Amino acid sequence: MRQMSAKTNRSRSVSRLTKKIHIGNIMFLLPTFILFTFVVLAPFIQGIPYSFTNWKSIVSTNYSFNKLANYEYLLKNKYFLMSLGVTFKFTILFILSSNIMGFFLALLLRQTSRFNNFSRTVFFLPFTVSVTAAAIVWSYVFTDIYGTITGLVSPLGLESQIVYAMVIIASWRDMGYTMLIYIAAMQTIPKDFYEAASIEGANAFQQFRRITLPMIVPAFTANITITLAWGLRTFDLPMVVSTTKRAGQTTAVYVYQSIFANNNAGLGQAAAIILTIILVVLTQIVSYTLRRIEVEL
Amino acid sequence: MYNYLKRKFSYSHKSAGQRYFALKEIIRTLSTLLLICIVLLPFYVAILYAFKPVYEISANRLAFTQSPTLTNFYEVIFENKQFISGFKNTVLNTIPTVLILVVTTSMSSWVLARFNTRFYSLMYSIMTVGLLIPFQCYILPLYVNFFKLGLVSNNIGFIIARSGLQISISLVAVTGFVKTVPRELEEASSIDGCSRFATFWKIVFPLMTPINITQLVLNTVFVWNDYSTAIILLRSKESQTLTLAQITYFNENTTLLNHAFAFFILAMFPILVLYLSLQKYIVSGITAGAVKG
Repeated sequence: MRQMSAKTNRSRSVSRLTKKIHIGNIMFLLPTFILFTFVVLAPFIQGIPYSFTNWKSIVSTNYSFNKLANYEYLLKNKYFLMSLGVTFKFTILFILSSNIMGFFLALLLRQTSRFNNFSRTVFFLPFTVSVTAAAIVWSYVFTDIYGTITGLVSPLGLESQIVYAMVIIASWRDMGYTMLIYIAAMQTIPKDFYEAASIEGANAFQQFRRITLPMIVPAFTANITITLAWGLRTFDLPMVVSTTKRAGQTTAVYVYQSIFANNNAGLGQAAAIILTIILVVLTQIVSYTLRRIEVEL
Repeated sequence: MYNYLKRKFSYSHKSAGQRYFALKEIIRTLSTLLLICIVLLPFYVAILYAFKPVYEISANRLAFTQSPTLTNFYEVIFENKQFISGFKNTVLNTIPTVLILVVTTSMSSWVLARFNTRFYSLMYSIMTVGLLIPFQCYILPLYVNFFKLGLVSNNIGFIIARSGLQISISLVAVTGFVKTVPRELEEASSIDGCSRFATFWKIVFPLMTPINITQLVLNTVFVWNDYSTAIILLRSKESQTLTLAQITYFNENTTLLNHAFAFFILAMFPILVLYLSLQKYIVSGITAGAVKG
C-alpha cells in the first residue's frame, strides 16, 4: 500500500515536472506562433471563403457569396489563362537557365583558389540587389548595350520577347544562388573517388558522368524545387517591367491587379487559390520524383 | 605575379599532358573573366549614368564620362525628399524586423529542435507551411485585417508583417542548426538549478551565435530589398521604403536619369557593403538550407 502511494506520488511529481517543462516550452513558442498566425495562418484561412464571394472593392466590406462563380469565370477568362501560360513559360525557362548557368559556373569555380573565390563573390553579387532596381537597370542594358551592339529593339519592349527578357534578368540574379548550392555539393565529394577513377583509366567525361553527376543529385533536387517555387510566384519582376503589358503578366501580378487595381477582390482571391493549388501540387510532385531518382542512383 | 604566370603558362619544358592542362586552365580563366564582365554589365551601366554630369547624358551613351562628378549623389542625399524618407523608413523597418526574428525564432527553434513529440512536430509543420503558400494567397485578408487595425502605411505594420512572413524560412534554418548543438551544457545547467529561461539566455543563445549572425545578415538583405510586402502595405508616399521610392522616383523623373541611377546605387550601397564584409555568413547561410525572403 505504502509502496503504491509512493509510486503514484512519484509519477505525479514527474508529470508535474513535465507539465512545467511543457508550459515553459509553450512560452518559448508563443511569440513566434502568435506572429505567424497573425500574419500568415489566419489570413490564409480567412482568404478561402473570400474566394467564393463577389467582393469588389477592398474599401467596402459589401459582398455576398456566389458559390463557384469566380472559379468558373476564371477558368474561361482569357487573361487569367494567359497569365498562367506566361507563368509556366517563365518558370520552365527560368528553371533551365538558372540551373544550367549555375551548374556551369560551379564546374568552372569548384576548386578553391583566390581567383575562384573572387569570381564566386561577383556571381553571387546580383542576388543581393533588389529586383526592382535590377529590372530598371537591365532595361537600360537592353536599350543601351544590347540595342547599340545589335541594332535591335529592347526585348522588354516587345510583347513577343518580354518573357525571355524577364528570364534573363531573373537568371542573372539567381544563378549565383544555384551556383553556391552546386559548389557546396561538389565539395562534399571525396577526392579519392577521382583519384581511384583516374587510376582505373576513366577519362574526364566518364568521371563527370559516373562520379560528379550522381553525387550531386541532392543539389539538383534542392535547386530545381526552389527555382520552381520562385518561378511560379514571380511577382516583383513583372510588376516593374510589364505592368502595362499582358504578355509579361504572371498569375501573381494578375492576383494583385484584380484585388488592388481592378476592384475585383473576390475574383483575385480565387485566382490566388488556384495559383496556390498549382504551386503546392507541382512542387510536391517534382520534389517527390527527384527524391525517387536520388534513391535509384 | 609575373613568376606565377611564368610558372603556370611556360610550355618549354613540359610534357604534352601538362601543356594540355595549362591550356585548359587558360580557357577556364578566360571564360570566367568573360562571364564576370557580362554579370557586371548592369552595374557598369548604373555607375556610368550615376557619375555622368547631367548635360552629358545624351552624348555617347556607352562610354565612361570624361568628367565624372559626384553632384548626382550629393543632390540625391541632401535634396531628394523621396530618398531621405525612403532611406529612413527602410532603416527603421529593417532593424526591428531582423531583431524580432532573431529573438523569436531562436527561442522557438530551441524548443522545436529538442522535443519531438507529436505536438512539437505539428507546431513545426504548421509554422513552416509558409514556405509552400505563395504570398498572393493571403494579401487580401492581410491587407483588410491590417487596415482595420490601422497598421497600413506605417512602419509598425510593415515590421509585424515582414517578420511574420520571414518566420518559416528562418525557423527551418535555425532549427537545423540547433539540432547540431550538443545538449550536455544545457542539461548540466538545469541540474545546477538554472531556470529554463536563464538556461536559454545564458547557455543556449550564446552557442547559437553563428546561425544568429547568419540570420541577421540574410534577413537584412531580404527585408531591405523587400518589394511585395511593401507595395501591399505601404500605400502612402511618406511610408514608402527605398524599393518603392526608387520606382516612384524613376517613373516621375524619367528625364533625370543620372539622379535615378545615383539613387539606385545609394539604395543598394549599404547592402553591398554588408555583403562584401560579411560574405562568409551569407554563403554559409545559403548553403546550409534553401533560403530566400
